[in-house]
Amino acid sequence: MADSTEKNRKKQKRTKTKAVESTFLSKTSKYEKKGRTKMKGKRKGRDNDQRKRRGGGPRLPNVLRQELGLDAKRNSSSESDSEGGEDVRDFYELDEEVAQEESGKNRRFDEVENYQYELPDNFEDEEVPSDEGEDDSDKSEGEDQRDKEDGERHLRMLQDITGIPKEAFDGEKKKREEVLLSQADVRSEIVTIHDLLAPLQGMPGYSSLRKRVLQQEKQPMTLQAPLPKSERDKVQRKVSDKFARKEITKWEGVVKRNREAPTLFFEQDQNLGYSTVGAIASGFEPRTEFEKQMAQLRQDPELVEAYKNDGAKMLELNKVSVKDVIDRQNRLAKMRSLLFRHEMKAKRIKKIKSKTYHKIKKKERQKAASAELEMNPEAAKQQAIKQEQKRAEERLTLKHKNSSKWAKRILKRGLDVQDDATRAAIAEQLQKHEELKRKMNSMNNNESSTDEESSDDDDEEEDESKRALKALNKAKEKTAKVLEEGDEAPKKGLFALPFMERGLKKRQEEAYEEARQALEDYDATLNQLQDEGEEGEEETQQNSSAVKMTGKRTFGPAKKPVAQEYNKRQRLDDFGKDSDSEEEDGEFDEPVPQIIEDKNDKTEGVQLGTALLDEEQVMAQHAIFRNLDDMEKAVGPKTSYEVAIFAGDSFRKVRSDSGHSNKATTSSVIHTSKPSHETKETDQSYETDSDTEMVEGFLTTNLITDQKPDYELPSQAELVRRVFAGDDVAAEFERDKLETLNEENPEPEKPALVPGWGQWTHVQKKKGLPDWMVREHEEKKRKRGEALKKRKDAKFDHVIISETINRKAEKLMATSLPFPFTSKEAYEGNMRMPIGPDFNPASALSALNRPEIIKKPGLIIQPIEYEEVDPDETHDQPKRIIQGAKPKQSSKEKSKKGKLSNKLVPKTLGKKVKST
Amino acid sequence: MGEKEESNEPQSLNPASNQEEGILDKLEKKAKKYLRGNKTNLKNLRDKKLKGQLEVREKIYGNTAKVAARAEEWLKPSEEGLLEPENPLERTYRIQQSSILPEVDVLSVSKAFDMKLPDLGPYTIRYLSNGRYMLLGGQKGHLAMIDVLKMDCIKEFQVKERVRDVVFLQNDQLFAVAQKKFTYVYNRHGTEIHCLKDNQHPLKLEYLEKHFLLVGTNNFSQLHYQDISTGQVVANYRTGLGPTSVMSSNPYNSIISLGHSGGKLTMWKPTSGKPLITMLCHHGPITAVAYHPSGNLVATAGMDKKVKIWDLRKFESIHSIPGHAQTLDFSQKGLLALANGSRIQVWRDKGDQDFGLYMTHSIPKGYQVGTVKFRPYEDVLGLGHSMGFSSILIPGSGEPNFDSWVANPYETSKQRSKKEVRALLDKLPPESIMLDPGSIGMVRERQRKEKLTKREIEQQMVEAVVEVKSNVEIKNKTKGRNKPSKRAKRKQEEVFNAKKPFLEKQRETKEGPPQKKRRVLLEVAEDLPKSLQRFAKKKPM
Repeated sequence: MADSTEKNRKKQKRTKTKAVESTFLSKTSKYEKKGRTKMKGKRKGRDNDQRKRRGGGPRLPNVLRQELGLDAKRNSSSESDSEGGEDVRDFYELDEEVAQEESGKNRRFDEVENYQYELPDNFEDEEVPSDEGEDDSDKSEGEDQRDKEDGERHLRMLQDITGIPKEAFDGEKKKREEVLLSQADVRSEIVTIHDLLAPLQGMPGYSSLRKRVLQQEKQPMTLQAPLPKSERDKVQRKVSDKFARKEITKWEGVVKRNREAPTLFFEQDQNLGYSTVGAIASGFEPRTEFEKQMAQLRQDPELVEAYKNDGAKMLELNKVSVKDVIDRQNRLAKMRSLLFRHEMKAKRIKKIKSKTYHKIKKKERQKAASAELEMNPEAAKQQAIKQEQKRAEERLTLKHKNSSKWAKRILKRGLDVQDDATRAAIAEQLQKHEELKRKMNSMNNNESSTDEESSDDDDEEEDESKRALKALNKAKEKTAKVLEEGDEAPKKGLFALPFMERGLKKRQEEAYEEARQALEDYDATLNQLQDEGEEGEEETQQNSSAVKMTGKRTFGPAKKPVAQEYNKRQRLDDFGKDSDSEEEDGEFDEPVPQIIEDKNDKTEGVQLGTALLDEEQVMAQHAIFRNLDDMEKAVGPKTSYEVAIFAGDSFRKVRSDSGHSNKATTSSVIHTSKPSHETKETDQSYETDSDTEMVEGFLTTNLITDQKPDYELPSQAELVRRVFAGDDVAAEFERDKLETLNEENPEPEKPALVPGWGQWTHVQKKKGLPDWMVREHEEKKRKRGEALKKRKDAKFDHVIISETINRKAEKLMATSLPFPFTSKEAYEGNMRMPIGPDFNPASALSALNRPEIIKKPGLIIQPIEYEEVDPDETHDQPKRIIQGAKPKQSSKEKSKKGKLSNKLVPKTLGKKVKST
Repeated sequence: MGEKEESNEPQSLNPASNQEEGILDKLEKKAKKYLRGNKTNLKNLRDKKLKGQLEVREKIYGNTAKVAARAEEWLKPSEEGLLEPENPLERTYRIQQSSILPEVDVLSVSKAFDMKLPDLGPYTIRYLSNGRYMLLGGQKGHLAMIDVLKMDCIKEFQVKERVRDVVFLQNDQLFAVAQKKFTYVYNRHGTEIHCLKDNQHPLKLEYLEKHFLLVGTNNFSQLHYQDISTGQVVANYRTGLGPTSVMSSNPYNSIISLGHSGGKLTMWKPTSGKPLITMLCHHGPITAVAYHPSGNLVATAGMDKKVKIWDLRKFESIHSIPGHAQTLDFSQKGLLALANGSRIQVWRDKGDQDFGLYMTHSIPKGYQVGTVKFRPYEDVLGLGHSMGFSSILIPGSGEPNFDSWVANPYETSKQRSKKEVRALLDKLPPESIMLDPGSIGMVRERQRKEKLTKREIEQQMVEAVVEVKSNVEIKNKTKGRNKPSKRAKRKQEEVFNAKKPFLEKQRETKEGPPQKKRRVLLEVAEDLPKSLQRFAKKKPM
């Protein structure tokens, strides 16, 4: 059963591609048959060959072979066979296949040195082609001729019948061959779920199963749209930035060290290059006569031979006993067997994994990922970005291609010459390339597979009609509701205005009308649907026509002829396809009912569509209503806001009123307070007076007690001055202080009006000074008070500290922080130490004021060279940079390279020996 | 340059470990002194490069301080001696000169002597900063310069005029004398070099060594600054507080203090016409002022029979000594000498600014001490009095170790001349005299109405842009106005708007305010007749 369906599908395919040439069917099929038989014969011959070569297994009948699926394999492999001399594996030779780890397939296994003897790769290949070639030449010559003759005869006949030149048919022949190939491909294709489902048709639960399968298939395999250019560029930049950063960061250590070193010395390289006597000796070349003689003596073959012989004597000491050798061999064999067993075990496990577990796992993962992608647009985007990044990275590195400079060079030199690591790297590249290619191919396959999707099912019909019913009912209810509710009109705010009301009414009426119509429509469609349910499935077509009658938009009739046409064409195709295999001829009319069903579905879809449309309309109306409602609702807060404005205004008024009153009160307070202040002042003055009195008393007492004889009798004026000098000193000082304060922070002028201003009547006179004047004055006073509080001498009664700015001294200070410094603290901390010779001992002085760079005149500063720097190193010592010196690393590398080349030479030699 | 430090590099010390530790502790203490403040806190620095550099710098400073501390041991070998009581009941001020003299060495004994000059007194005295030379100025015109080290009278002459004050200039080569009408400058041979007529009727003189400034007060209550290297009058301010002969300079910051009859002490610098600080110190005229060498303490004596010691950091009197004093002086080691009549007292800081009477001395009754001066680098106090001059020994008054780079009592003429040249080269401008000379080179605090520099404006702009960028909220718009390009454009606009005011400011700083208007006015003025041109500005456009 499955076989037949598969054939059917194949047939369909071919009919699609070959519909035009259906007229020449019979002939071509014949020709094909012949070709096939020929091929069979060929295969037989080769089979024999193989049997000869390998000893072979039992000869099985063709049918059995086909049953085993061997035939298909043969078929597919036959082409490749003829092209390259590849081995064709027989059924019985399956276990002799090269182990995966040995073949190095997929690089899944660790690289193990092969202990067993192995033939060189080309060992078998050398013989086989010659053998086969002879065979081929023997047998195929005659056949080819026959083929040619046949083809020509056929062509001639075609030309006779159609009158078209034979070149056209020549091309066709090729095409046919291609078709053959594709057929072979198809035959080997995997069985689809549809093929499996087909026999279940008519069984209980079939429809639901089918539906599920279809649903699964329906989920479109969408390709991610390419990211916009800006995004792509961004990704590109990101990747390239990463690489650039990696490249640059390695310099960090060197740069940091140089930056932080207090001083850089640049010095000439004093190194002569030779460090040891041996180094000098190795570079020695005989120049003078004597030297040459000596060299000749040293390189005398006899002498060398003698030396070697001497060495051979020493080799005797290295003799190993037979027992030891045997032991070693045994041990090695044991190890090898152990290894082999282990490998076998690993292989088995791997095989199991790869067949089932791995596949399932992979599929699951993919499914989950795709589901997540579909669910989450963010994730999808991220995935896209990630992929883009990967791509960009790969493009940047070009690791998957052998086009990089490095790879080219290595390939040019030959892979065999390289060491293991490089070879591995190259292999990795190739593998990556392969992977990417495979990916690309698989992507293409997927696309093609998703293209083929069969049409809908008839069993869905029922459910869908039910759903439509439900939807319609719902819509009806909703419209009814709206009709009932729609009468309410807003009665306040903006919508209460007469013209707005009128407009609203108009719109409402329209909406009402529409809604009613919609309701009617719903009724009609509902009736129809119900009728449908009663009449059953077979009359769906009629229903569709009834739908047409309602006058709504329908697409049914336009579709029908197309479908019929399609039917016709398909039938023709079927003819074309069937012609090559007569057994399948009987089944050509099968797909027709399917298509009819399709059509039905479509009409139904249309029907549903109308319903949905209607619903949409209703929803739109709803939206209108909703909008209105919203507006109505919005009116509420708006009005309230207005009210709030009014309220706010009034409130503000109230507040301002209150403010006025407050101010009035405050001003009155001020007025009242003023005289009191004055009294206070007077009080203070009294106090000070009393103070001074006390001071006077003190002074006088002092003077009385101080009656020591002076060495000079002061003059009368002096005496008087002295007597009264202490007069009121503190008060005087206070006055002075006040004066200076006033000088530096002048007291604000008292607000005053021009006499007569605002005094037209007594009413105005009462008001006094305007508010703003008073306010300003108070503000100024407050500011002055603050300024005075901030003064350094604010706390001291007996001290006046001038706060005038010293303009002349400003030039001795920095206006802003000098360049590298970012904080004042750091700068001043750095400046605290004097660095001059007057303040520091001479031994420490040089370190204090050594310049940043020291170099001899004429020395050329070379560009910075890369060096490994210890990040934890302290940099407080002056760094000496020696110009012209080669960095240590490069010399190391050199030596490494030399060693490598030395290693490589014998290997290549060995290979050469082998090949010869 | 630094021969002596190099020659005095510490040798390896290898005594017992305990001793070594003690030495190390001492060294550390000393090193702390030479670090000149705490290490800067670099933890808050964000700039890694700067941080690294400063760390290195800080290390170098630490090493320098250590080296200096080690050098100190060899450069400052001697410590000052003091009179120390043997038991708690013994008082140092009871010890008389007569009991000290037999105890001290011969050289020191020779330092205590009297000179009877009864005719031309009373005398004022001055020592040179290195303590080698002394000037004697008799009120009645007697001037004498004495080499106190060699006890040699270098020059003695009569000016036949009232001499109010004498002062050494840069070295022993020149000295200034405040005579009756003018200030005169003589050299060591008594030749009159200059007659400074700018400062008439001088009362008191003071010399600021590092600034080459001769400061004098005069009878017109003026303060007069004159540069003696160029002869320019740097400043001449009216104090407005009456003539005074009480003047002293702060050794730390070269600020001049004047004591006034109103009990006020005023502090002046040459670049400001108003006193920097005015202190009400006494309820009566101030008779004498003296500064502690650290510059933090000032002693004032007033007619209110008090001698007060003030802390200038707190502006409060930390100690008050009852009694009159006609003259005051602080020694290099912080001893305060005060003289009243024929009695002399020396006070000493016993620690934590707790002053106690250290020594007393009295000269024969009837002698009136005019000036007391400690001799630098010696334990000697010189007294100029009405009957001549006497010097007494005050142990622990002078600095025992002199620094030849600062003052060398034994300097040769060559060294002297070299030093003079060096001093001239290192001369500080008068602007550098300020209350806190440590602020020189530091970042000045910004005044209110100052223009911002270009860099600051830029910085502000960057900050503003960053803020806008972080805070910008672009609404979602419809119909093609929500494209990324449009959104970006809108964002850019916002940023530009934020930048705009700063750019304008920058332009202003670059070009200055527009001057178009003024030019127009000038043009108008040109049209007018010359007599009317000056009114052109007032005319409205």
